[in-house]
Amino acid sequence: MNRPSALTIFLKTIPARAHPRFVGVYRNPAWIVTETLLPLIGTIAMVYVYRALHAPTRYLGFVVLGGVLLAFWQNVIWAMATQFFWDRAQGNLELFVMAPTSLAAILLGMAVGGAYMSLTRAATVLLVVSLVFGVSYSLAGLLPALAVFLLTIAALYCLGMLLASLFLFYQREAWHLADALQEPIYFLSGFYFPVRSLGAVVAGLGSLIPMTLGLDAIRQLLLPGTPQLIPLAWEVLAVALQIPIFGYLSQLSLRILERRARQDARLILRTT
Amino acid sequence: MSVVIAQWRGFKAATWLGWQISSNWTQPLLFVIYSVLRPLSAAFILVVMYQVISGNKAGTVAYLAFLVTGVAFWSFVQNGFAGFSNGMAEDRGEYRMLKYVYMSSLNFYVYLLGRALAQLGSAVASTLIVLVIATIALGLPIHPLDVNYPLLIGGSALALLAVVGMAMAYGLLLLQMVDSHGYGELGAAFLYVISGAIFPISVLPGIFAFVASLTPLAYWMELVRRSLLGAHAVRMFPALSDGDVLLRLVVTTAGALLISHLVFTWADRSSRRQGLIDRESNW
Repeated sequence: MNRPSALTIFLKTIPARAHPRFVGVYRNPAWIVTETLLPLIGTIAMVYVYRALHAPTRYLGFVVLGGVLLAFWQNVIWAMATQFFWDRAQGNLELFVMAPTSLAAILLGMAVGGAYMSLTRAATVLLVVSLVFGVSYSLAGLLPALAVFLLTIAALYCLGMLLASLFLFYQREAWHLADALQEPIYFLSGFYFPVRSLGAVVAGLGSLIPMTLGLDAIRQLLLPGTPQLIPLAWEVLAVALQIPIFGYLSQLSLRILERRARQDARLILRTT
Repeated sequence: MSVVIAQWRGFKAATWLGWQISSNWTQPLLFVIYSVLRPLSAAFILVVMYQVISGNKAGTVAYLAFLVTGVAFWSFVQNGFAGFSNGMAEDRGEYRMLKYVYMSSLNFYVYLLGRALAQLGSAVASTLIVLVIATIALGLPIHPLDVNYPLLIGGSALALLAVVGMAMAYGLLLLQMVDSHGYGELGAAFLYVISGAIFPISVLPGIFAFVASLTPLAYWMELVRRSLLGAHAVRMFPALSDGDVLLRLVVTTAGALLISHLVFTWADRSSRRQGLIDRESNW
């Protein structure tokens, strides 16, 4: 009997791990409600803040686009970074490690499935808030914005893979760390305002997160005339470069931390 | 008398348990940093949004104070509502001890009050630190000697009673679900929109503004701002005196507690009938 090659197993693992997430998109109505409504309500709250300030409609578009990426960031935090933490608690992590495949392939599968899952939630935020509050976008920038969006999502999930390996070392504090990675990141990435307002140093620091430059570029394309951090071409290039950088770092980190987790017996350590 | 002592001991134990569950994962200093990071960032998001629109014009400090005080005090609702209602699901699903509390001689309300107090306690540090940092960094007109403490403490005590009452009812309702993960936050997020924490409720569409005016949170936020900022406070209810706002807070709190008690009683009965108190939720 022919044994499948390592590459074949790797490639088969990705859709296999993504499959539960594809199915899960519509399987648990309770999760559909929270995953859709949480970013939606958060976005609406910020829309009303701008309305109370009598801000131009363009700023409502700022908030909507931030809300779209917010759905992805929440997925990266709660379904990528902390996923191995949940898997360990449920006893799945030891099965993943024993399986004749790599954790990298499992993470890639999670990323593909997670991105699809978030897309459905983000589309709801985009449609509902844009329609209800009458936000319009530049159609000419739609296709380039979509391309930048895909690049941003790819870089974001590479960062998610990096965080997932780091979270292998956390116990109960993983929950709190994930919590702490919400509002501070919304602030640093300029989810609800032009990131340029933060000044060069803070905005530069925030640019290490792929959403920051990606979001700024998408806004420039869909909401022309908005303040930009750096020229569009440089933003796109930086986001594109973040994909291999975070991808490589995640694999490196995964190798190192998996070895240490085996040594410290953290792969089966339960915290509940 | 012995019954009162027993309940008091149970209350203390519940408070201690709640505090341990929410804080024993790390060192106290790290716990405070994590507790403060979120509200502080939320406050600065609003500050930047405001400055983007107002462009640092004169007279902007009053509205900044409106935003910062709303976010700072929101920690009480975030912890007291979301954290507490999630805590009931965790007691059942994660720690699997809700049934034992339920069977014990301790009054269930007393136990829940103790658990809620621990959540509110962890919000105190967060609120204070956000207020202090924002006041210094943004030059907000908050002076510790000028604060109307009786109004602040009285109003907050009433509002937090309402928040805990609503969270008890909501948390017990959530036991009807197998998996209520995220629903505590969802409830708090809805309250955030209608509370007047980050924008005046008059901005909301008619029906939501009406609902907002029936909840104690909008009046609490108004009293918090008036007591902290005095004449500098941007008012949501300019036609109402402090006494009028306090009266409305009392009435809406009483209403909220009554409705919460009815919902709690129904949810309690329903949970017992359906055997939900010890339901396995594959946490």
